[in-house]
Amino acid sequence: MNRKLTKINRWLIAPYLCTLLFTGIAVSEVKANAAGLNSWHAKTGLGYSAADIVVLGTVKDKQGPLPGVTVELIGNNKIVTSTDNKGNFSIKVPQNGTLLFRSVGYRSIKIPVNGNRSLEITLEEDNTSLNEVTVVGYGSQKKSDLTGSISSIKSQDIALLPTQRVDQAIQGRAAGVLVLNTDGSPGGNTTIRIRGMNSINGGNNALIVIDGLQGGNLTSLNPNDIESVEILKDASATAIYGSQGANGVVLITTKQGKIGKPIIRYTFDGSFASIAKRPDLLNAADYARETNAVALAKNGSGINPLPIFSDAQIQDFQKNGGTNWLNVIYRTAFTQNHQLSVSGASEKVNYLVSGGYLDQQGILLNSQYKRFSLRTNIKADMTSWAAFGLNWAASKENASSPPFGGSTDWPNNPVGAAARFSPTIPVYDANGNYSKSSLFYGNPTLWNPLASAVEPQIDNGTITNNLSAYLEFKLLTGLTLRISGGARIATQQDLSYLNLNTFTGAQLNGSGAILDNQSEYYQNSNILTYDKTFKKHHLNLTAVAEQKYDKLFSSSINASDFLVQQTAINDLSGAGIKTIGSSFNDRVVNSYLGRINYSYADKYLLTASYRADGSSVFGKNNKWGYFPSASLAWRAVQENFIKDLNIFSDLKIRASWGITGNQGINPYQTLARTSSGVLYPYDGSDAANVGFYLSSAANPNLKWESTAQTDIGLDAGFFNGRLSVTADYYKKTTTNLLMPRQLPTYTGLGSILDNVGSMGNKGIELAIEGTPLVGKFQWNAGFNISANKTTVLDLGGIDKIGYISGGSGSGTNLPFMYLVKGQDFGQMLGWGYQGVWKTSQAAQAARYGQLPGDPHYTDVNNDGKININDMKVIGNSLPKFIFGFNNRLGYKNFEFIFLIQGVQGNNIFNVSRIALESPGGTSAGLLNRWTPQNQNSSIPAIIDQRTREQANLVSTISLPSTGNNRISRWIEDGSYVRLKNVTLAYNFPKILTDKIKLHNLKVYVSATNLLTITKYSGNDPEVSSYTGNDAQLGSDFNNYPQSKIFNIGLNTSF
Amino acid sequence: MKNRKFQLKKLNFSLIVLLVMIMGCKKLDEHPKNFVTPDSFYKTQTQIESTFASSMNALWTAWSAYGYGMAVFSHDDQLAGGDLNIPANWGSNLWAAHYNAIMNLNLSIAALNKGLSGVSKANTDQLMGQAKFLRAYNYFMLVRMFGALPLITEETADPFTAKIARSPITDIYKLIISDFTTAIATLPATWPDAQRGRPTMDAAKGLLAKVYLTMATYPLNDASYYPKAADLAGQVIQAGTYDLETDINKVFALDTKYGKEMMFSFNSNYVAMATDPHIWSDIDGWGDESVEPLWEQTFPVQARKDAYLQTQDANGVNYKTLGRLPGIKKYLYDTKADFDAGRSVVNIPIIRFADVLLIFAEADNMAHSGPTQAAIDAINRVIDRANGYTVNAQDPRATLALSAADFDTKVIDERNWELCFEYDRWFDLIRKHILKEKSIPSIQQNFSDNDYLFPVPENDLRLNPLLTQNPGY
Repeated sequence: MNRKLTKINRWLIAPYLCTLLFTGIAVSEVKANAAGLNSWHAKTGLGYSAADIVVLGTVKDKQGPLPGVTVELIGNNKIVTSTDNKGNFSIKVPQNGTLLFRSVGYRSIKIPVNGNRSLEITLEEDNTSLNEVTVVGYGSQKKSDLTGSISSIKSQDIALLPTQRVDQAIQGRAAGVLVLNTDGSPGGNTTIRIRGMNSINGGNNALIVIDGLQGGNLTSLNPNDIESVEILKDASATAIYGSQGANGVVLITTKQGKIGKPIIRYTFDGSFASIAKRPDLLNAADYARETNAVALAKNGSGINPLPIFSDAQIQDFQKNGGTNWLNVIYRTAFTQNHQLSVSGASEKVNYLVSGGYLDQQGILLNSQYKRFSLRTNIKADMTSWAAFGLNWAASKENASSPPFGGSTDWPNNPVGAAARFSPTIPVYDANGNYSKSSLFYGNPTLWNPLASAVEPQIDNGTITNNLSAYLEFKLLTGLTLRISGGARIATQQDLSYLNLNTFTGAQLNGSGAILDNQSEYYQNSNILTYDKTFKKHHLNLTAVAEQKYDKLFSSSINASDFLVQQTAINDLSGAGIKTIGSSFNDRVVNSYLGRINYSYADKYLLTASYRADGSSVFGKNNKWGYFPSASLAWRAVQENFIKDLNIFSDLKIRASWGITGNQGINPYQTLARTSSGVLYPYDGSDAANVGFYLSSAANPNLKWESTAQTDIGLDAGFFNGRLSVTADYYKKTTTNLLMPRQLPTYTGLGSILDNVGSMGNKGIELAIEGTPLVGKFQWNAGFNISANKTTVLDLGGIDKIGYISGGSGSGTNLPFMYLVKGQDFGQMLGWGYQGVWKTSQAAQAARYGQLPGDPHYTDVNNDGKININDMKVIGNSLPKFIFGFNNRLGYKNFEFIFLIQGVQGNNIFNVSRIALESPGGTSAGLLNRWTPQNQNSSIPAIIDQRTREQANLVSTISLPSTGNNRISRWIEDGSYVRLKNVTLAYNFPKILTDKIKLHNLKVYVSATNLLTITKYSGNDPEVSSYTGNDAQLGSDFNNYPQSKIFNIGLNTSF
Repeated sequence: MKNRKFQLKKLNFSLIVLLVMIMGCKKLDEHPKNFVTPDSFYKTQTQIESTFASSMNALWTAWSAYGYGMAVFSHDDQLAGGDLNIPANWGSNLWAAHYNAIMNLNLSIAALNKGLSGVSKANTDQLMGQAKFLRAYNYFMLVRMFGALPLITEETADPFTAKIARSPITDIYKLIISDFTTAIATLPATWPDAQRGRPTMDAAKGLLAKVYLTMATYPLNDASYYPKAADLAGQVIQAGTYDLETDINKVFALDTKYGKEMMFSFNSNYVAMATDPHIWSDIDGWGDESVEPLWEQTFPVQARKDAYLQTQDANGVNYKTLGRLPGIKKYLYDTKADFDAGRSVVNIPIIRFADVLLIFAEADNMAHSGPTQAAIDAINRVIDRANGYTVNAQDPRATLALSAADFDTKVIDERNWELCFEYDRWFDLIRKHILKEKSIPSIQQNFSDNDYLFPVPENDLRLNPLLTQNPGY
């Protein structure tokens, strides 16, 4: 105990030691500096001097005056100013001095004064972007100085997309980043994976850092507030985040006001969405015929069943059509998005206030998402050596939708029911009540789709407050201390009520649930940086002491048996049965980290970092984890022999190695736990005794998952920066995977969480950016492609782990998604389906007791039986490669933007199709079922009982009844190429906007998901009904469908 | 110089701010608030008692243990189905459930050994009696199913990491006897009405008598335990705390589930219900647990048969005509409304007075190499009630004229009928070593001598190389 305290104390002292060390360096620096200052004073005579002149000037670019350009005297950066909102500046400098003009996005320019008292400067836009500043963990770096692998997305790229979400805006824009819109619901889920999956149970979500505050959430963020998005991919970039860095890091920087006149900006976006692709279903008449065929086939042992629908009824359906359930539950949905912001800056104060209102309807009735967001970013210089900043962002989100997806019991699921409900049944019965499915055909347990869609009363609300503030001290030249504090407080309240018109409500006599979560997160980061250039050496040191604390309190009430339906969850006293629960957990993370960036002659670059993370969630014997990284880069373009080639405008070769971690341990998981919650009437009374039991054993050795990553990369620029290429190869090995290790059950417990198991990833990435056309007709293009392979190396002594990703009604209620030791991540296991036995194959079919028209399964071991021994790999859920191609074309005042994006080489298990294509289903595909005349069908025939009895065959096919549809028949190619977005914008000419006193005015029309090329037959290939574990990705089961969206919008400022 | 001072002012100011931030630095030790760790549990009487509830819940929990019927024992002659080609992992759910209960009981016993602050010695002793009663019962079930076992007690240092070998059957019985003996010494003769479900002294005596009887038969075959069994069972009969229900139809009725006959049971009520009653009836329900028709036909026609077996539907139509299997009526005494809603509050007895009478009869007969009057009286109390206090040629009363062997057979038959579907028949087939001869023809063909023990679970064998498998698996 004492030793541990000493250890903690030692760590507490560490930042002081660091501070003192830096101070030492810096104080000696002061002396040198002071000397320099004095000599300059001597030279210039402090203040006015005969040699000084006042230079007045204007800085412009091609468009016009440029505010906010820094103008400084080379050799003394204390003599500095910046241009005002008309691009004008005034500066007092020695008449033989040289001025440096610099501004982000422009090429810096040096102009000798030569006694000129007035200067007119035109800056050129910088296409090489090498001088751009890139945000990195706990700091920023010039892009040319980077030694790690980082993808950057700028605000202009995000602003051009009519998307309401940051995570969606990333899709297709960064190599190695897989973004899956796993469902189409408003405010729905996305899954983002950077360079594959590293973990099985520890989670694979990237760390999100918004303005330095870690662990943020992209959905609550207003995309219009974003200045830049940086995606850190290799260990050199991510190891600075230590035990949270293994899955990559997404750094978000929000906008600040810009020097100049205050700008008021308003944007509006309105859109119409409709279902992207409908399943092809039988009409009522065909469905009635199908139902009859299935009924009549049950003619075994002398039984002669009657048809269910008479000819007259079928005639009537033919004439009147029947019910199109898809039209009943889907709609054209309208979305409006308003944004208003005010921003500006003086020399000392810089501000931005922005608000947004998003009201999004879903295409499924009764689904919507609303978001109010408000942000205030303020920065101020208090003195010449102290500054502060405050970013406050608040949002209120409300999302609601009827249940959908795989985890929802299917009678409740309107998405599944609408496709499967009989078109012969009207929406309402004769009494005006919701109709019910028939007991005699179809699926008698299906609930009315309209009732399932509109009757649930669901409201999931979240209020989030993000606050980050800092104080920054320029202690000495080059030495800066930033003390920042941040907090994120979120309140989540999920309400739901299912009344008697819903399946569950009818069973339970009304069913309501209230879930409250109160989460708080606090972060304090103390960052000391020292930057020094001497001769050809450039040194940048960063040292950070950081502490984080988070806690979560949640409570829930589930109630049923309501006497009064109207009051629902607003009067729980009226509920007969209530179960309640609550829980609390918290976590402390203390960290110390340091980084050295060193470059020599801008040619040889070195970055090394080291982080120590102490986390309360780690086991007692492993409280501290250590995460080193190192990287080297060689800017070959600075070598004369490369310069002489005259090919490259940039050439850099990078190599990095490092270790990052994944803190996928829940608080208290390393402790032994006594749990409550089991009931047993030990006393024999009418009450039950509450049982407490040991639910888990302690594992004091439990620690983080550890990922070692090596990356080799190349950055090359050609044609004066108009073409740039970035290529990376990486290899990652994750060890100490957190998995339940089986215990002998005689211990009393089945398993204990332990660090067992290992996974590997390797991949290549290529990103090309270019400006093929400049001038009147402009074309900017970016293309990226990446391939990743994830391999399961070790599962801690077991060969495979199975995941159920289907449902009992579909014959998929047994695992078919597997992690198999030594194989690729995301295997699908089942039986091979080779179509239907043809008449010519009758003899072969008879070996399995089958008739022509029966399913033909692959007999792997050729033993004449189809059973558990014939299971094999029938698909894989992860793409072989992913790509994106984005383009911006400009001509005069028109802009044309399009993004093409896609994935290649993955499979989807189309669970939804099973029920539709089974006998008596609703799929139009059934019209093409096998008959002796139509032998080239993969849909088995309906073979009547009498024919089977006469054939007198004994089937050798024994597939488990709850898992007999785990067959390759439902496995489809999930590859696709998609025109994700296309936008045409018009910028009103300056002459016009000036007349109506506007700064600018832009209108646009846009379409999302306009065109998708895929072999996948379901609604959308970018689907996953199960997102609980990455091993379950790639199953399509009654999920919320994706939509096609058309937008119109305008963007103006004044 | 002024500059220097200025620099130091900046430094001091910023260091103070930094210091304030770091002062708040939190410790990394975890102190959970939403649950307790075992170190801070097992401190009060109610906390100890809560482990009795959880240990019984582990055995009774639906789907994985005794709560969901008798599937594990379907190889006997009473239950429909079964196959004496016993597969790997057979019974592993019960192995895990019993050891889970034992784990929780061991933690309580260890705490009681240290003593609870503020709890009297008498109360502590009584808690110890309950804990040991329950532990002994768990080991008694395990040893009969699996034979030699990893013997885990409160003194086992760290069962989660230690590799533990199987202890011989005699060592397991040593612990069982010791635990029940403690229980007998410390448990009350009766509990107040509010605690009537708890184990009593006589329940401990009855179970220990059953333990002795089992030790006297296969596999230990130590006849010296017959007199001990007879003595303990005799004490329970003499004490008169428990008695038979007079009416056979009342034995399993809901209002007598804590009556004079039931000594200790798996309990259920509306808050913690038993498994859906549809499993007990093939005629009205799903019939997961149904009666073997061949066995039903050997059941004497008597009042007891109608009380214990469901052989016809509500209209009096026989199961054969319905194309169904007979149901287990013992557990179908719920109301019709509860049955339809899938609710059941029946108890399944672990030890009851009829069992004690038959234990006495069997043990006393064997101890004296022939039936004594006391043995005859004991068994006839059961037979008379079964026949509705009439003479029945199919199940006649026992007499002194019977030989020791014939009387023994009569006792086993009576146990077969009286205690049917009470997790008892399988163990009678084992300890009397009559599994093969009593098996129905369709499963007899797969019989081997190895069927007398279930296999040790594969998971445990794989993870602990010290464990050995039972022969034949």
